[in-house]
Amino acid sequence: MNAAHIFLALFLAPIVSSVPIAVAYRRKELVGKLPPLSVAGILVSLVCSVLLLLKFPDQHFEYPWLPQLGINFVLSTDYLSRLMGVVTALIAFIIAVYGLDYMRGDYRLPWYWFFFNLFTASMLLVVYSDNLFLLFVGWEGLGIASWGLIGHWYRDDDEITFVGVPDRRVGPLRLCWTPSFGGWRAISTIRLGDVPMFLAIAALWMLSPEHNINISQMPWEEILRAAGAAGTVVILTMFLIGLFTKSAQLPFSEWLMTAMTGPTTVSALLHSATMVAAGAFVFMKITWYIRPWEVAAAVPGLETVYLLALLVGLFSAFYGALTATGMLERKVLLAASTMSSLGLMFGTAAASCWIHEEIAGMNFALLVAFWYLVTHAFAKATLFLVSGHLIHATHSRFSEGDLELASRMKAGFVATLIATTFLVGIPPLTAYWVKSAMDEVMEHLLIHEHMLLPLVLLLATSVTYSVILARFFTLNFFKGGKPHHLHLERLPLMEFGYLAMVSMLFVILYMLFERHELFELAKAGFKPASLLVGVAVLVAFLVATFKPRVAALSKIGTFFNDRMYLPFLNDFISPVVGFFVARLVENYGNRGIDGFFNTKVVPTLFRSLSRGVRAIQVGYLRSYTQIVLGLVMLALIGVAVWGVMP
Amino acid sequence: MCACVLPTFVTELTLAALVILTLGAAFSYKWRGVGFASAVIALILGLLAAKSDAYGVLVFAVALINLISLVALDNRIKGVDYCLVGLMGLATLTVFTVQSLSLVLAALVLVSVPTYVLVMLREGGANTEIGLKYIVFMVFATVLFFIGAVMLAAGGDPVLGYVLLILGLSLEVGVAPLHEWVPDVFAAADPIPISVIASLAKIVPFVAALRIITSFSFDERLVLFTAALAAFSMFAGNIGALTAREHARVLAYSTVANMGYVLACVACGAACGAAATPAGGVGGASGSELALALVGGLLLLFANSFGKIGFFNAIKGEGSFSPFMFILAFSFIGVPPLLGFWGKFYILLSLVGVGYLWLAAVLVLNSAISIPYYVRLARELGVGWRLRLTDVVVFIVTMFTLATVALPLVEWLVKSMGVLSLGVM
Repeated sequence: MNAAHIFLALFLAPIVSSVPIAVAYRRKELVGKLPPLSVAGILVSLVCSVLLLLKFPDQHFEYPWLPQLGINFVLSTDYLSRLMGVVTALIAFIIAVYGLDYMRGDYRLPWYWFFFNLFTASMLLVVYSDNLFLLFVGWEGLGIASWGLIGHWYRDDDEITFVGVPDRRVGPLRLCWTPSFGGWRAISTIRLGDVPMFLAIAALWMLSPEHNINISQMPWEEILRAAGAAGTVVILTMFLIGLFTKSAQLPFSEWLMTAMTGPTTVSALLHSATMVAAGAFVFMKITWYIRPWEVAAAVPGLETVYLLALLVGLFSAFYGALTATGMLERKVLLAASTMSSLGLMFGTAAASCWIHEEIAGMNFALLVAFWYLVTHAFAKATLFLVSGHLIHATHSRFSEGDLELASRMKAGFVATLIATTFLVGIPPLTAYWVKSAMDEVMEHLLIHEHMLLPLVLLLATSVTYSVILARFFTLNFFKGGKPHHLHLERLPLMEFGYLAMVSMLFVILYMLFERHELFELAKAGFKPASLLVGVAVLVAFLVATFKPRVAALSKIGTFFNDRMYLPFLNDFISPVVGFFVARLVENYGNRGIDGFFNTKVVPTLFRSLSRGVRAIQVGYLRSYTQIVLGLVMLALIGVAVWGVMP
Repeated sequence: MCACVLPTFVTELTLAALVILTLGAAFSYKWRGVGFASAVIALILGLLAAKSDAYGVLVFAVALINLISLVALDNRIKGVDYCLVGLMGLATLTVFTVQSLSLVLAALVLVSVPTYVLVMLREGGANTEIGLKYIVFMVFATVLFFIGAVMLAAGGDPVLGYVLLILGLSLEVGVAPLHEWVPDVFAAADPIPISVIASLAKIVPFVAALRIITSFSFDERLVLFTAALAAFSMFAGNIGALTAREHARVLAYSTVANMGYVLACVACGAACGAAATPAGGVGGASGSELALALVGGLLLLFANSFGKIGFFNAIKGEGSFSPFMFILAFSFIGVPPLLGFWGKFYILLSLVGVGYLWLAAVLVLNSAISIPYYVRLARELGVGWRLRLTDVVVFIVTMFTLATVALPLVEWLVKSMGVLSLGVM
């Protein structure tokens, strides 16, 4: 079996395996039996990704598509892609197994499984693509599948699927969103970023010698120097807008919060290894090959772009963490925390521009960002899967639960405790080592580049992040009060899902000390300063666990729960501007165009012209002869005049 | 040796075909089937003699389809009508390769005169009034064409010769503003003979004119005159068709427009001048624009032929299968990859090549103007699936229109240009 076959199976198996259930949508008895087939398709992808990891590391595969245009099926198994491929496929597979229980009896299974598998296949295409155009194909696949999945419960008839408190209003705005609205908010925001990103790819295609847009082969330095300072800033910023919208960075974060109207399995996949991770991953991948730490001095404008990414990332991280402290809904709290984590990934990856240290040929900051992505993926997927079970059991999307619930839902309780403590950076658990390296990156910026803000934002985010995950843990299993409704049933696949997911955090912990490059990274954890941060995080976690609510802060909590009124941008300012433009176009553009082309000028003109042309058809031979003879005579006179002319 | 033997062989085959047609016509008074059979045999012999490669095959196809569609029209000279169409087909087959002006002009007469009879055919009588209207203009056209051609050949005033030739051609095929006879004749005559006049009869005048024109070089102003005439015809035809109600009348104006498109190729031919060696093949032509113009013009003539046969048969049969109607309409509009698209495509390439960008723009604009009436025609003539003779004819022409979906076929049509002769003296 060669690599081409493996790639073919990897991308097509999820899609092909979900076609039967999509086709059989009218036959309910068949639809109920087909989901395992869709899961099997993802299992095939998982096996293929593992094969690529083990058998074909660090290779480059090129299969012609439109070679004249430099657009080909170019796939790579570089360090980032081969590991991310396995992470994506594994997480998708575990969530799919969980989904067999979670989605049982749903009214729209064919839709769900088709888009779920398309989502996975699209992400795998993004992960392995080395050609920017091919990557964009997968990118668009993610967009359409996310729209389908977030708006899955399109009937908008169950309050438990909503986001926000029903009937809550702030000024003219209703702060409650239904699934169909959530789907719309997602696709509209993402499209806003996709268009500039596509234009940026087109510009890179134009500038690249021989139109080569293979990420790993493009002469980035040459291309960006040719673009000039302004060109570099414009092109890369346009590209970044695509990544920022997908990864819900400021000010494009709103869609991610209301994406929680989708099924929990979708939230889990969306927040861990696909969609939002895609933005951060692609940023890491292109940074890997642009090598800004080497070329920034020679390419004017490049440092500006990375500074922008650094600041957008870190501010988004802090904003996300801060707003999450006031969140009441389980999944929305996790969504805000995801935004925060993605901000840290962007910030750390962007910091690579000023970090020259390499480990085994890889930039230190990028390595940190990537392993934080992996750790976060498994931890966050676990928390979402537990959330799904909690919502199922308590029939509420708001955080509530006490020790009694914890004792009756032991697996969920344990998984949550592990996932939260392992993710926030409590020593010596998994994320601690990665976050320590992150601290070191920002410290480097302070010492060598005199940038204080990044370190301050990182530390503030780390402590706040610890508080929010502690709140999630405690409000659902300890101090969240007795649930109003509790209906626990045995759902083995769901329990398997989050236990399998959380167990991967131990695997990563083991790898941190077993793999050479990761151990180099983990060394930062042994420094006293890192330990100090770790202790601060632990203290914050413990305090928030025992005191999750502070009455004096309730107003600011509500402000945070309202996401600092950022929904106004999406739901008020954008529509007002949009409708203004639409009215302008309607009143002064459309009517004019309509009048000109469709109702008045052109139709009248053509009607009269047409009648004029046909008016000479009187039917008499004599008239026709006169016309023809007259015209021939005219021609002859013309020729005669020509003849006498000098 | 081959070159010496073949021409003799060609003459014999052509003569045999003519004899068979004459005998067929005579015997068809007694046995009607004989006329049909002799026309088919004559066409096969003509195809073998002509050696015009792809274009011979296409002419053969058009003539054969015309013959088949004539079966649907019962008339007083049944049997002889097949032989007349056979004669037209035979003349059309020879016009691509014959080497002298007299034979080219003879081909023109042989294509033109049978239509004088055909136009009058109808069930249970004769359309004498239409015949009169048609014949007057055809005779006039032939005279103008002949004077122009002979004047050019004899070394007379080239401007006068060229203008007369173009006026004769315009009147013959129906280029505006000399198109007055077209809407009346198309609307009043029986659709089947009109389908012959609108298809087979259009090919020879253009090929003859192009072959004569490419023997000389002309003043740029004459090229401009031809281009202006072409543009005028496109606009008059397409705009006239927009509000015409009768289907046959719409098709008449569509013919005027299409003849404008083909006249653009003639302008191109005049612009390229005597680039081609006299009596040489297009393969030897130094200007590739000329080859493109010829390919474009011929493909458009064939697209027009198949489309007109299809639509007139649909009128005769009071509608035909709707998807076929739309395919023919789209071919007329120039939707890729149908036959009509390739015709317009190559004409555009040649116009751009000789620097007539404005005419190329006019052609594209006119294709856009034509969309409403072609779609209307397809919608009004389109019905459900039936199987009658006219529907079979529509099916066959649709298949020909669709054939260019296979790109190798387009390549073949372009390559076949190499075997055609240019220049006549």
